[in-house]
Amino acid sequence: MIEVSNISKQVNTSEGTLRILEQINLSLEAGETLAIIGPSGSGKSTLLGILAGLDVPSSGTVSIDGKNITAMDEEGRAAVRAGHVGFVFQSFHLLPGLTALENVALPLELQGMPDALQTARTYLERVGLGERVSHYPRQLSGGEQQRVALARAFACRPAILFADEPTGNLDTGTGKKINDLLFELNAEEGTTLILVTHEKTLAARCNRRLELQAGRQLEPLSGISA
Amino acid sequence: MLALKMLLRSRRGGQLGLIFSALVLAVAVVTSVALLAERVERALVKESSSFLAADLVVSSSQATDADWLEQAEQQGIRTARIASFASMTFAGDEMHLASIKAVESSYPLRGAVKRSTVPFATEESDIETIESGPKPGELWVDSRLLPLLNIELGDTVDVGDGSFKVSHILIEEPDSGSSFSAYGARILMNWADLPASGVIQPGSRVSYRFLIAANKENTDKFDKYVDWLNQQLDVHDRIITPDEAQASIASTMDKGRRFLLLAGSIGVVLAGIALALASHHFANGQLLQVALFKSWGISANRVRKLYTQQIVLLAIGGSLMGLLIGWGFHQLLVSAVREWLPIALPMAGARPWITGFATGILCLVGFTLPALWHLPTQSPLAVLRRDTQAQSLNSLIRGSLGILTVAVLLFWYSENLYLSMAILLGFGITALASIAVGLVLLRLGKTYGHWMGSIWRLALSNLWRRKKPSLIQMVGFSGAIALLMIMTVVRTSLVDEWRWQLAEDAPNHFLVNVAAYELGGVKNLVDQRDLETAGWYSMVRGRITHLNNQPPSELAVDGHESLRRELNLSWTSDLPEGNKIVQGQWWDTTAAGTNNLAPVSLEEELLHELGLTLGDTVRFSVGGLSFDAVVTSTRSLNWDSMTPNFYFLFPEGYLEDYPRTHMTSLYIPSEDKLLVNDLLRSYPTVQVIELDKIIDRIRSIVSQVTRGLEMMTLLILGCGILVMFAAVSLSMSERLQESAILRTLGSSRRLILGVQWVEFTTLGLMAGFLAALGAEFAVAMLQRFMFSLPFSWHSWLWIAGPLGGGLLVGLLGVVYSRKAVTQPPLRVLNSL
Ligand SMILES: Nc1ncnc2c1ncn2[C@@H]1O[C@H](COP(=O)(O)OP(=O)(O)O)[C@@H](O)[C@H]1O
Ligand SMILES: [Mg+2]
Repeated sequence: MIEVSNISKQVNTSEGTLRILEQINLSLEAGETLAIIGPSGSGKSTLLGILAGLDVPSSGTVSIDGKNITAMDEEGRAAVRAGHVGFVFQSFHLLPGLTALENVALPLELQGMPDALQTARTYLERVGLGERVSHYPRQLSGGEQQRVALARAFACRPAILFADEPTGNLDTGTGKKINDLLFELNAEEGTTLILVTHEKTLAARCNRRLELQAGRQLEPLSGISA
Repeated sequence: MLALKMLLRSRRGGQLGLIFSALVLAVAVVTSVALLAERVERALVKESSSFLAADLVVSSSQATDADWLEQAEQQGIRTARIASFASMTFAGDEMHLASIKAVESSYPLRGAVKRSTVPFATEESDIETIESGPKPGELWVDSRLLPLLNIELGDTVDVGDGSFKVSHILIEEPDSGSSFSAYGARILMNWADLPASGVIQPGSRVSYRFLIAANKENTDKFDKYVDWLNQQLDVHDRIITPDEAQASIASTMDKGRRFLLLAGSIGVVLAGIALALASHHFANGQLLQVALFKSWGISANRVRKLYTQQIVLLAIGGSLMGLLIGWGFHQLLVSAVREWLPIALPMAGARPWITGFATGILCLVGFTLPALWHLPTQSPLAVLRRDTQAQSLNSLIRGSLGILTVAVLLFWYSENLYLSMAILLGFGITALASIAVGLVLLRLGKTYGHWMGSIWRLALSNLWRRKKPSLIQMVGFSGAIALLMIMTVVRTSLVDEWRWQLAEDAPNHFLVNVAAYELGGVKNLVDQRDLETAGWYSMVRGRITHLNNQPPSELAVDGHESLRRELNLSWTSDLPEGNKIVQGQWWDTTAAGTNNLAPVSLEEELLHELGLTLGDTVRFSVGGLSFDAVVTSTRSLNWDSMTPNFYFLFPEGYLEDYPRTHMTSLYIPSEDKLLVNDLLRSYPTVQVIELDKIIDRIRSIVSQVTRGLEMMTLLILGCGILVMFAAVSLSMSERLQESAILRTLGSSRRLILGVQWVEFTTLGLMAGFLAALGAEFAVAMLQRFMFSLPFSWHSWLWIAGPLGGGLLVGLLGVVYSRKAVTQPPLRVLNSL
């Protein structure tokens, strides 16, 4: 499903070239769950961005479903992403002017789905927010906001879900509930999940793990291919 | 439609509200002013037509071409011919050289004649308004002809070979004018009687007028006919348009109209600034949404399309709404100024609507589109990383686009280069000064803020740290304040000028042609009623016989009235009030012409019309004696003031020996109006020019126009406040976030609000100061080029600007950021 070979990322800054990622290799089958772990600043988000096709590596290739996305231009990568990937972010990224329902429905509407609102409502019910559909993000707690974000991500029925520290802004209790929900939905939908975290316990729930240290892969991808 | 949905949803986000209100306001201001201006314009043309008794007049020294009449008849255009001449009239042993006007039965084409059957009638009930002239065989005459010829109404008077019955007293003709040229009693007779009277012979001095007017349905044909007519004219003919017919009212109205334009233009610029600021703010608010879209695989093209559609929808919706509100506001304005418009306002054409709508579209294209231009290129990576933001369109390009838009709007709308330039330059200077001086001031504030308390230190270093938004805000504030100042100053000086001009006791009557032996008697009559004249002027009646030692050519004589009739020559040592020297020099107390020639100062247009230049000589014939004069200066006259204006002025000592007559102007209150009758009964040769009605009309126009200006000012004030709001909200989310963080760190409410207060007050103070600079400049330019007002320095601007700016902006800022301290910090942080 995802094939990564030898990717490196470096950026030019005023203080010389900064090597953010070096020689990363991994391969993931559909339906697998991968945890990218490592300390802050080790390059986890950068790797996630490259895997999702939001960014390009300086060298190496990334293929999704056999298509080499590193060779494509931004429009081509956008076409691959469209309807294929979902995201969950540390800071939720809900649109403040939209209700919970509208936030969830927005990507569906962009896809031109005719009953976007109905689908959105179903997913909000599945994350336990059936009563809060017309509330705005500012009227929701952090955990609730992240549940809306989960509903938004799964409502598109993505093949791959990318999550960047989804519980990083939440207290431990709430974070655990969000994680449970994430894995529950993931199991039901059979989504491939790529998760960035620095929590070992969370990483342990994934069947594959990749540990980064200052941009380097500590050891080849661990875990068992499902 | 997704774009529509997105648009409606972003309304709740708040940023769209400002764009929308700015757009609606821009369109509303433009539409209301354009509607009113066009309707008033149309009404004025109609109104002035009645002063001409026609829509257009060709004045000529020759009888009207038969061809012109034929063509007019074919095109269905209404015509009337008039012949004016001086002729002896006889009744028994008495005779009088009367000013006779023979009119065709179709006269007047516009307006109406007032007549009476009571000599010297003053009662409204004795006066009849009628839309026709005398029938053949009838004469309508000035009251004073009765004592002059010693006759009664109904008697016969001989004009040339004909005898006619004096059937009515002539009170007022629509096109009577107020010139001092014709001294004889006025007589109106029918054109058909001219052959019988035999007064018009080859060689007689006759002025012809050819009056034309459009029928309602055929204005197109009328315009074509006028074009055709223009090609037929030769040197004998001169076209008179309605505008020229009523110089003093037209000039007042014109200034009012110009102010309306100025206010409207300022409104447009203000709304433009508000729009630009709001769009900037809006674009910032959309960044996250676009990054999300991109991460979901929406292409840049699709994003561009979505936002373009939104702008188009916004433009259409906002413009339609603006048109509606503009229409409503123009109705309000109309009701405020209705009274001085004697006739129903004609409906406006399509142009104001088009102007309003186009303003909406242009504003969005010029201000909103550039601000959103970079959105489609926003990187999807921004959802993961904070520092990834699309490079927004170069602020230089954006600034130029904005300025270009404003310039196009201003010029298209005002069709006046000076006005557009003054506003653009005034605003430009303010903006540039805001950026340059602002940077310096902010830097100074940061450096020396250390010496002050913690609030000041924090606030001033905040301003410096956020210098880009601070400067943008400063441009917004100072621009708005400057434009409001410009408007207030011009309005105040206009109203002041009018007040001064139309002082309650300004002269409203002229007494002309008072002979030396009548002077004592006339003065007595005036004294008896405790009235005061504005001083007596002496003058001498003379003709021009030679220009530069040559008799003027036949052609020139035909071409210019001044060469055909007697002129009023007067003398003074001081330049009369309201006169300005255009060329040459005014004489000192001891004046001398060259080579023993008398120096003479001419009205400047007359000089050109006579084909003369400074240093040329003119020979005058006065009572059979001749003398030469040399042109030493030219003057422009002030037609706004009701003081005597002389075309020819000499220094004292040159004309004293010639037979002279006297004139004066004086204020006659309505309860003393009978003085006019007493005067004319006892001294029928004195000519009384009555301006009281015109002055009353001007006065009511001025007060109504002033009221209209006041309302306009309010509307523009609204625009200004909108700009302030847009500018304040620009940095608000960042400020609220910082304040909330300070709150969580335990800072006091006092400190947080204090910092906001100091920041905004400082910004407002600086902006007010810079605004005074720009406004002073623009006002100087406007006064000089648009309103012909003298330059004046406005010291209050320099005090009111910074004070008002600091107070207003500080208040707005604190009110806006109160949320930061009244709500729990977490809620504030979450809502951002
Ligand atoms: N475009 C860039 N320019 C400069 N530095 C970057 C850029 N992208 C990432 N970095 C740096 O690379 C390192 C890794 O960043 P990131 O992937 O966000 O780490 P993590 O998500 O593991 O905390 C950080 O030190 C970050 O500052
Ligand atoms: Mg990260």
